[in-house]
Amino acid sequence: MSFLDSYIYYIGAFGLILVGLYIILVKHNLIKVIVGLGILDTGVNLFLISVGYITKGTAPIFSKSGIDSKHMVDPVPQALVLTAIVIGVAVLALALSLAIRLYQHYRTLNLRKIREQRW
Amino acid sequence: MVNPVILIAVPLGLAFAIPLFALFWKDIAKYTPPVALGFNLVVSLLLLPKVLENPVIVSIGGLQPPFCINLVAGPVGVLFSAIIALVGLLVSIYALDYIKEGPTEKYHMLYLLLLTGATGLVLTGDIFNLFVFFEVLCISSYALVAYLRNKAGIESAVKYLIQGAVGSSLLLIGIGLLYGLFGTLNMADIAQNIKSVSPISVFVPMVLIVTGLGVEAAIFPLNAWLPDAHSSAPSSISAILSGIAIEVGLYAVARVLFTIFGVSLSTTPSFLLFLALLGILTLLVGEMCAFSQNNIKRMLAYSSIGQIGLIVFALAIATPYGVTGGLFQLVSHTLSKALLFLAAGYMIYQAGSMEISALEGMGRKMPLTCLAFTIGAFSLVGLPPFIGFPSKFLVVRAALATKETFLFVLIGLALLGTVIEGAYFFRVVQVLYFKGEKPNPGSKDAPVAALIPMFIFVVLIVVVGIYPKLVTDVLNSAASEFLNRLDYIRSVLG
Repeated sequence: MSFLDSYIYYIGAFGLILVGLYIILVKHNLIKVIVGLGILDTGVNLFLISVGYITKGTAPIFSKSGIDSKHMVDPVPQALVLTAIVIGVAVLALALSLAIRLYQHYRTLNLRKIREQRW
Repeated sequence: MVNPVILIAVPLGLAFAIPLFALFWKDIAKYTPPVALGFNLVVSLLLLPKVLENPVIVSIGGLQPPFCINLVAGPVGVLFSAIIALVGLLVSIYALDYIKEGPTEKYHMLYLLLLTGATGLVLTGDIFNLFVFFEVLCISSYALVAYLRNKAGIESAVKYLIQGAVGSSLLLIGIGLLYGLFGTLNMADIAQNIKSVSPISVFVPMVLIVTGLGVEAAIFPLNAWLPDAHSSAPSSISAILSGIAIEVGLYAVARVLFTIFGVSLSTTPSFLLFLALLGILTLLVGEMCAFSQNNIKRMLAYSSIGQIGLIVFALAIATPYGVTGGLFQLVSHTLSKALLFLAAGYMIYQAGSMEISALEGMGRKMPLTCLAFTIGAFSLVGLPPFIGFPSKFLVVRAALATKETFLFVLIGLALLGTVIEGAYFFRVVQVLYFKGEKPNPGSKDAPVAALIPMFIFVVLIVVVGIYPKLVTDVLNSAASEFLNRLDYIRSVLG
């Protein structure tokens, strides 16, 4: 098994995480920043799944007889990801509704122009 | 025996029932939080004597730890849940009269959810469950910061949300790495096996988790959101954010470092010194920024950063004295800062402005509120006979008892920070009492629903300040729970 085969999911997950962080740090538009948050969330979720994933593994509950535990995918990370997705949706929904309010107040979504509060 | 689960279940259920109740009778929304939190306070106080002898471990789902989600109601957990319930109860009584505008039933629902998240976070023994309760706390506080829907509130909520969301993603990556290493999410189980892997592979999740939690705990480079969020939220929410939310974040940092990763003086002294340095940096940055503020709520918010720095410093001493002092300082900050924000809320309401200069002569217009503010300020600075004095005294004594030159230098800097703190609080008190025109005949104090909680805070501050023995026993056993991780592991895993 080559290096890529065993680590491709981790590479993908951390790639997404880095893309998300880059967008959050660099972009000026609030909507883009929120998209970045979404990508970051997806990366983290993919990472959690890949922690427990086995190539060509099966679900542990519906396994046929004769499949040993080595070929079963760990179900705990998947349960975690379900929870994390729900939390991520709540955060994104709140962020978007705040973005609507912000636009109503300032008539812009450019975060570099919205600077009333400072140190 | 009372089951600690009801500490979470009752407020959570009532929080989601509030919008339903409010369909029939709108006023019920504002009376639900005091009822739920009063219940929590009674239950916590009933549990407290029991858990001082033996921690109560609750396994959910009928399995034994580490295969289930479990609650650990030890001295730390129940002490924190009692504080959360007490401060939450008093602030919710204050909010009966204070919150008039906007969709009030949503305010009360989110308020109760925030405190449920905080209570769950301090009681849970499962690291992913900790993340879930952390998110419950965070999401409700993002929404509450934006409650007034004005420019400042929305802008700071957006800032807070973006930083908080990145922080919780980092926390989740750290938890995922820990799960990958150990195959378990139970904190005691991870703690038991932490020595079985190389220190480097544990270091990465530790940094990620501490950074993620540090955003909420407002440790120095991660606290840019705090002054905005605390100053533009409604004052009752500022009191909760300053008095509960960041303290709970600190609890999580301490729990993760002391219990899970086993940070202690014997194994990782240099990391603790780094934390102490970070604490003092937080303190100095906070106090100096607070000194230069003209806006009273921003000043109080920066002063919270300063106090958090002192608590981090005290916890990083990691001796029994140090951790006790840190927890005492945490309790004292919670009571004093909540009182300050509550008093400031009505002073701002009366003055119509948050500028300190607008508060001239307020001491004659609102004598009781200003007296409460003054007591809170003196207590925070550390004057006897208020609670701030014994707590700061303990921290200084703990630092001097270590015989470590570096800590001597740091505690010197901390005392310098206290001097700055004294300077800006005395300036406000001077403006309140000794500036401005002759007495205004129409003196109009805060309403009774606001004066009662302030009065109770004042009584607590003075009584515990005069007689610190009331709390030191609990704080000592809480500190030993943090420092004796083997006892924690044994009590959970049997």
